[in-house]
Amino acid sequence: MRTPGRQDGDEAELIERSRKGDSEAFGVLVQRYQRRVIGVALAVVHNQDDAVELAQETFIRAFENLAKFESRSSFSTWLYRIAANLAIDFWRREGRHVVLHGEDADNEISRLPTTHGDSFKEVARSQLSKRLKEALEELTPEHRAVILLREVEGMSYDEISEVLQCPRGTVMSRLHYARTHLRTILQDLAGS
Amino acid sequence: MRALTCGPSFKTWPGVEQDMAECSEISLMLGAFEDAELEPNEMQEVAYHLARCQSCSGILSDYSSVGRELRSLTPALDFTAPNLAGFADAVIARIDRLPQPWYRRIERYFGSGADFLGSGFAWGGAVAAVAVVTMLLLTPYAQQMSSRRLGAPSAASNQLAAATVAQPSTANDVSSMADNDSHAVISRLESGNPSVAVWSEPRKDTTVIWLPDQP
Repeated sequence: MRTPGRQDGDEAELIERSRKGDSEAFGVLVQRYQRRVIGVALAVVHNQDDAVELAQETFIRAFENLAKFESRSSFSTWLYRIAANLAIDFWRREGRHVVLHGEDADNEISRLPTTHGDSFKEVARSQLSKRLKEALEELTPEHRAVILLREVEGMSYDEISEVLQCPRGTVMSRLHYARTHLRTILQDLAGS
Repeated sequence: MRALTCGPSFKTWPGVEQDMAECSEISLMLGAFEDAELEPNEMQEVAYHLARCQSCSGILSDYSSVGRELRSLTPALDFTAPNLAGFADAVIARIDRLPQPWYRRIERYFGSGADFLGSGFAWGGAVAAVAVVTMLLLTPYAQQMSSRRLGAPSAASNQLAAATVAQPSTANDVSSMADNDSHAVISRLESGNPSVAVWSEPRKDTTVIWLPDQP
């Protein structure tokens, strides 16, 4: 028998109900954090299909380990940390590779020059995206995660520090390194 | 995108000494300045430097471009897209398939039962408990137990006493020795009338009488 779900329940109550095995309550938490959890995974693996799979695994791990969750950090930070750890492990296990699936591949195809419009700009745009993706792949998962969590997810340095479990100073130095690296790539493209 | 280095493009004002070392220090803080993550005094220091240094302003502009490009590279997640539409449902379906630990199943069962029945369930339980206790107290067994504690003779023991009237002396012996060992009771009876043997266990309200075979 299952208690009826309540969409407007506050987070502590939803967590408590989830702890007791109420998967509907946990479903509300999933809907609340799914976008950001996928975003964190995407920041590391940089492939949407893998990121979605890792995000699912993140929520399942979180559900199984809710008893271990202490309210010292926020639930969201705890979730993002699981996602980041899973994604970094996945990246190390799978190795560096660039495979474009589904929409990613479609996006790349759509960037190819067409007979209409400003072909030169489109080629330049396509080259820029391609080179930037390659530049991201050249970074370590930690550096890539830091810059994408900041620039794409808009996380603060403190949030990134908690999610990646590293000091704030490390976040700053990794960001500096990643930005300098990407800037060099973009400069090379601009020069050529 | 410009290829920038500190120094050559520095704007200088009369009487202001520009230091290359300052640029290298400030460049480390430019990213954090862009993110507004510096302390207020550091923000002020960098802002002051940027107002005078064209190359550092260029680096800052490049950092902004990097951020913009990265955001354009990562399309916003569309949760109506086929691979994301049923994300939450897929997670819940996987969770529902997980084997549940026994304590969680019990907890869920009773937890939901209590919610469903509310306080009526608790009151019903209390009434049932009182009824069981009352029944136990009113049964013949309970009466028997209570009478034994008080030392009053029960109906069964009265019958046994009547059965042993045929041997007045032995009956008296039995009652007088109610608390003694049953073997001792046998030996006394045998000494009074060797053809009759009585085994009496007062604590169990049991008396067995052996009579000799009639010729």
